[in-house]
Amino acid sequence: MSAHYTFPPASAYPLNRCLFLLKSDPAFLERFLADPEAAMDELGLDAEARAALRAFDRERLVALGAHRYLVFMAGLRVQMARAPAAFEYF
Amino acid sequence: MPVVTAVACPHTPQLLIRPDTEDRALVLRVHAAYAEVRRRLTAARPDAIVVIGGDHIEGFFLDAVPALAVYVGAAASGRFGPYAYTLPVHEPLARAILEAGIARGFDLAWSQHLRLDYAFYVPLHFTMPAPPVPIVPIYVNVYLPPQPTPARCYAFGRALREILDARPERVALMASGGMSHYPGTERYADPDVAWDRRLLAALEAGRGAETADLTGAELDAAGNVELRTWIVLLGAVGPVRAEVLCYEPSWHHGNAVVAWPVDAASVHPAGPPAR
Repeated sequence: MSAHYTFPPASAYPLNRCLFLLKSDPAFLERFLADPEAAMDELGLDAEARAALRAFDRERLVALGAHRYLVFMAGLRVQMARAPAAFEYF
Repeated sequence: MPVVTAVACPHTPQLLIRPDTEDRALVLRVHAAYAEVRRRLTAARPDAIVVIGGDHIEGFFLDAVPALAVYVGAAASGRFGPYAYTLPVHEPLARAILEAGIARGFDLAWSQHLRLDYAFYVPLHFTMPAPPVPIVPIYVNVYLPPQPTPARCYAFGRALREILDARPERVALMASGGMSHYPGTERYADPDVAWDRRLLAALEAGRGAETADLTGAELDAAGNVELRTWIVLLGAVGPVRAEVLCYEPSWHHGNAVVAWPVDAASVHPAGPPAR
């Protein structure tokens, strides 16, 4: 069986950077939620990466070299930002 | 001073921010174990808490990926959702760990400005004594292959214990992470609870040194890449029997809170210095 967490190929650096910013940069997350196309323009993403991000399809993103943890936490951050009332905060 | 207490805690984000997919009673049982850790930390009166954590690609992105690093800033800040936090850092101890670690052959990276990941914050949110105790964040690369080997993590833990034993501060050790979980993968809903239980039984028997013989591939297969942080701690506490304060596997995460008695007897038998 192949590993769950693998070395991110250099070709996927812009894609992983986008996922990292969604996860870790609240200002970028806000820009992405308001206008994803303009936010993606900032990062030099190719058409395939942009389409996979638009659909936020995990397996397509991973196939393009996205790191699985970044996909997971970027998705959770988008969910937290879109529906903050869906969580109980301790 | 000797290390005064040693614990391992999960940092599962759903324990801090609970979506309705999570069993509330289970979450509260883990919180009760955190409360016991807080009581023990308070009673141990540490001057510093050395927190060994994985980074979740937060402080360190792909620009630079250290295998092992020490945070040597004045304070450490971060954010997770609505939580914005700043924790004091014990700079003299952090610097001593860095310098003595390098002197012992561990090529540690260091930083004076990193966003502190929730891996460090979540357990401290629930366990930090009042008033807050300064921390020393120690980073172990757990998610970005190639990670440090379990043997190297264990050796670093042994060296860390020797470094701390030569310091004047009372130090609490906390490993953050684990147990089995597979975020972002098709196995997310199937944590390897049986693997976790076998490992906990070995730790309860005082056989923590066996973790140094695990391979990176075994940790990845078991959903336990974060166990590297525990392995550093196990190198520091030596062959003592662990006390499992809770093991609460959710549908996606083996939440374990574990404590180790630490005293002079837990120091490793005499031997060559750790390399």
